[in-house]
Amino acid sequence: MNSAERQRAMVFKRFYAEYQRLILGMVSVVGMMILWELAFTYVIPLNPFFFTKPSLIAEAFKQQIVSGSLWHDVAISSKAFLLGFGLAVVVGIPIGVFMGWRRRAEYTLDPFLTALYASPLVALAPLLIIIFGVGLTGKVALIFLLSVFPFIFNVFAGVKCTDRLLVNVVRSFGGREKDIYFKVILPSIMPYIVAGARIAIGRGIVGILVTEFYAASEGIGFAISRFGDTYRLPDMFAAIMVLMIVAVGLTEGLRKLETLLAPWKVGQEAR
Amino acid sequence: MESRARGEMNTLASFYREREQAILGGGFILLLILIWQIVPALISLPRGIALFFTTPVEVIKSFYQLVVRNEIQSHVYTSAVEFVVGLGLAIVVGLPLGLVMGRSKILDAMLDPFVTAFNATPRLVFLPLLILWLGIGIWSKIMIVFVGALFPLLINTYEGVKNVDRVLVNVVRSFGASEWQTMKVVVLPNSVPYIVAGLRLAIGRALLGVVVGEFFGASRGLGFMIAGAATNYKVDVVFVGVTIFMGLSLALTHLVKRLEARLSRWRPDEVKTF
Repeated sequence: MNSAERQRAMVFKRFYAEYQRLILGMVSVVGMMILWELAFTYVIPLNPFFFTKPSLIAEAFKQQIVSGSLWHDVAISSKAFLLGFGLAVVVGIPIGVFMGWRRRAEYTLDPFLTALYASPLVALAPLLIIIFGVGLTGKVALIFLLSVFPFIFNVFAGVKCTDRLLVNVVRSFGGREKDIYFKVILPSIMPYIVAGARIAIGRGIVGILVTEFYAASEGIGFAISRFGDTYRLPDMFAAIMVLMIVAVGLTEGLRKLETLLAPWKVGQEAR
Repeated sequence: MESRARGEMNTLASFYREREQAILGGGFILLLILIWQIVPALISLPRGIALFFTTPVEVIKSFYQLVVRNEIQSHVYTSAVEFVVGLGLAIVVGLPLGLVMGRSKILDAMLDPFVTAFNATPRLVFLPLLILWLGIGIWSKIMIVFVGALFPLLINTYEGVKNVDRVLVNVVRSFGASEWQTMKVVVLPNSVPYIVAGLRLAIGRALLGVVVGEFFGASRGLGFMIAGAATNYKVDVVFVGVTIFMGLSLALTHLVKRLEARLSRWRPDEVKTF
C-alpha cells in the first residue's frame, strides 16, 4: 500500500518534470482568467463602459459566432490579406533571388530597398487609401507594401548562402542557368522563404489593422474599432482574441515549419 | 595624345571599379528621384492622377514653408515626446522582466504563453482600447509605443540571458557570487549585444506606434499632420511627414547598428547574426 502510493507519487513527479513548462503555462493562463473574473465579480465594481470580464467576453464571442458577423469580418480581412500577401510572395522572391545572384543588382537595389524596409512605410497609409479607395484595393496595396520586404531580404540572404559547390556541380555536368535556379537555389532558399513569411505575417496584419481602423466598412479591424467607439467592450475583446489566435497560430505554425526545414536559425528580422 | 586619353579612361574605370557599390546604390536612388521629378514634364498626367501627384521639389518647398510658418515644429515635438517616453518606459520595464524571465525557469514558464501571444499579435490591435481608456491625448500614444517596443526588448534580453555561457556562471557561483553578482558580472555584459539588437527592432515598432497612433484620435503630431494632409489632398505635405519619419528611422537604426557593431567586435560571428 505504502510502496504503491510512493510509486504513484514518483510517477506524478516525473510527469511534472517532463511537462513542467506546459503545466505552469496553463496554470498561469487559467489562473489569470479566474483572477480577472473573480476580481471584477466580487472585489472591484465593474464599469461596463471601461472594462469587462472573461464571462462577458465568452458570451459575446458565442453570440458573434452564432450570428455569423464575426466570420463575415474575418473573411473580408482574410481576402485582402491573402491577396496582398500573395502579391508580396510573387514579387518579393524574384527580386530577392535577382539581388542575391547578381552582384550589380545587389549594389544597385540594396540601399534603396533597405531604406524602405527600415522606414515606417505605414505612414503612406492615408495616401494609399485616398488613391486606391477604402475597399479591397487600398488594403491590398498597403499589405503588399509592408510584407514584401521581409521576403526580398530573407530570400536575398538565402541566395547569398547557397552552396557554391552545388552550383559548380550543376555547371560541370552541363546544367543550364535554369537548372541552377530550380535545382539549387530554390530548394536552398525554402527555409528563408518560410522565415520571411513569418516576419511578413505580422506586418501584413498591421496593414489590415491600419487600413481598417482608418477607413473601412467591414473587416476585423473595423469591427474592433467600431466596438470601441460604441463601448461594446466584450465584443471588442472577443474580436481582439480572434485576431490574436489567428496571429499566434500562423506565426507559431511557420516557426515549426522553419525548424522542420532548417534546424539552424535563418530568420532575419527587420534590418 | 591617344595614350593620354586611354590613361584617363583607365583612371576613370578604376575609379568606378573601386566605388562601384556606392555609385550604383547612390546613383539608383538619385535616378529614381530625378525620374519622379521630370515625369510631369514629360507626360501630361490625367487630372485624376495629377491630383495625387507631387514632385520632390514641391515636397522640399512645402517643407520649407511649414518650417517658416512654424507649423511643423509642434508636430515634431509631440511625436518626439511620445516616442522617447514610450520607448523609455519599454526599456525600463522590458529589460528587468527579460532578465528575470531568463534566470527563473518557473517565471519563464508562467509568462511564456502571454509573451508569445502578445508578440505574435501586432499590438496595434489595442489602439482602439487604449484610446477608449486614455483618451486622445498624448498618453494613449505613449502606451501604444510602449506595448509596441516592449516585446522586442524583453525577448532579446531573455535570449541574451539564456545564451549566457554556463561555464562562466558556474565559475562565479563557485567563488560564492550571489544571484545579483552573477547578474552584474556575467549575465548582463553577455546580453548587451542582444539588448542592443532588441533596441533596434524596438525603435521600428515605436515609430510604427507613433505614426499609427496619431492617425486616429490625435490632435497633434506628425502622424496627425500626414492624415490631415491626405484628406485635403495635400500630397506634398504627406511626403514631408513621410520623409521625416524615414530620415529619423534611418538615422536611429544606423546609430544603433554602429553601436551593435562596436559592442560585438570581439564576439564570434554567431552572436552578430542574431
